[in-house]
Amino acid sequence: MRITCPFCGERELGEFTYLGDAKPVRPAADAGEDAVYDYVYLRDNIAGVMSENWYHGGGCRAWLKVTRNTLTHEISAVEPAAGAGAAKVGA
Amino acid sequence: MSNSAIPSSTIRMEGVSVAEFSWEVRSPLDRALVAGRHGAHGDAGVSLTEIRNFDLVQVMARRGKTSEMAKVAKARFGVTAPVTPQTAPTADATLIWSGPDQFFVLSKGGKHTMVALGQAFASCASLSDQSHARVLISISGAKARTMLAKLSSIDLHPAVLGVGAAAATSMDHTSVTLWRGGDRGEQAVFNLLVFATFAESLWHTMLDSAAEYGVTIGHSGELT
Repeated sequence: MRITCPFCGERELGEFTYLGDAKPVRPAADAGEDAVYDYVYLRDNIAGVMSENWYHGGGCRAWLKVTRNTLTHEISAVEPAAGAGAAKVGA
Repeated sequence: MSNSAIPSSTIRMEGVSVAEFSWEVRSPLDRALVAGRHGAHGDAGVSLTEIRNFDLVQVMARRGKTSEMAKVAKARFGVTAPVTPQTAPTADATLIWSGPDQFFVLSKGGKHTMVALGQAFASCASLSDQSHARVLISISGAKARTMLAKLSSIDLHPAVLGVGAAAATSMDHTSVTLWRGGDRGEQAVFNLLVFATFAESLWHTMLDSAAEYGVTIGHSGELT
């Protein structure tokens, strides 16, 4: 499997590490215990197109958001995660 | 007196029990690098040269300050700092892309040290002195590309990695910054920055890979 880093270009899997589902969003401070439990522990086991966080630690050290089909490993999109590169923060 | 732990208050500085340290600056490759001719006989296909005594500063834009950093870099160096995996040579330094919104300043002679650059970039970038944290290795020779291809998964073909191109990548599971310097005659020159503590390991791996082509090993104080 290869991932096309938006900063470096196409690279082998060994340069990246997998973090997991990119969908969970940290709940508000007053969201309650259930919301926090869901955010920390509960994950969907998606068979199909999934949004994932990957880290290009063996290259430019940027966090990436990868859209990948977990059945075929087809990668349809790779974009910088929020905070990857000072220019992109908040964008 | 035994060698077991001694309270520091009892150590007599003039005593033989105090370990003697050498504070001379040494290359992390001091032990591994044996200058001379190695590997296969005949014309050496690969030349490995460690470049010593350089100044290396990493410049990283602060949040939302990328364009300001670019302006300061342009004013300071007279060239545009690389925003893609490329290098930008100046009269007395080389700017090397090292990741999004960050680059290295490689130079010699104290002109572009942390102290010298700190003032200029104070408002927009964070600086980190890497002069003693990295080892710089220059790889050249007719078989340089063939040897590196054994260790690297990126495309080293001149059409892809041309003169001045850079890459943040891994070799032998070790993060490196790789870039093409100016050709020497007809031959490509690859420059590689590796973390100091990983340098010896990668050096041995490169030497093993290059042995079949014959290797000339040395070190130099001059940037190529």
